[in-house]
Amino acid sequence: MINFMIMEKVLRIKSDFFDQKVTYTYKKELDKLKGRVLAPKKLEEANRLLRNLKTPLPK
Amino acid sequence: MYSDFDYTYDYSVIEFTSIGKNGAIPKRVVFTETELDNVYNLAFGDIDENGEIDDCRISDNGDRNKILATIVKVVDDYTLKYPNRWIIFTGSTKERTRLYRIAVGLNLEELSRKFEIYAFVEEELKLFTKNMEINSFLIKRKND
Repeated sequence: MINFMIMEKVLRIKSDFFDQKVTYTYKKELDKLKGRVLAPKKLEEANRLLRNLKTPLPK
Repeated sequence: MYSDFDYTYDYSVIEFTSIGKNGAIPKRVVFTETELDNVYNLAFGDIDENGEIDDCRISDNGDRNKILATIVKVVDDYTLKYPNRWIIFTGSTKERTRLYRIAVGLNLEELSRKFEIYAFVEEELKLFTKNMEINSFLIKRKND
């Protein structure tokens, strides 16, 4: 079971998709991006698709 | 696939570096809340001079497949952390959407074991099948 405890600064994860371990390093500076709309055009495009959707999301 | 990532506390932003014939190019993957509950938009691209994502830039770094595998890995890990979230993603151009469609199609069997994979066809959601003409993908982790 993968654990994403954010108190840990470095996570080493292996999943069953790839036979390779990856390392996630918590980078505090990236938290400064919180609250900013990143990739706004992509987000607007996604919202437009979702707004116009004629079928509900699958259960 | 690339294997060294920087991440935010909520895992909404992940960065890694592409290494290839044009050097080291920083990349960013972002998951952003949409207007619909529990649906998050996946955006990905180079980090430009202003620190913003540029998802139209063609970096031509010779590592396209490695990048695609890395994105799959990031989505895999993100949906482990947030198994109930839907992820919507679209290519920044028709060609890129086509590339994603081919890549998902080629690995559909393996991916389908882990994810529910739907496609936007016009204004409807349909279960994705190979060679389907689509606008975007909507995926969610299959919960056991």
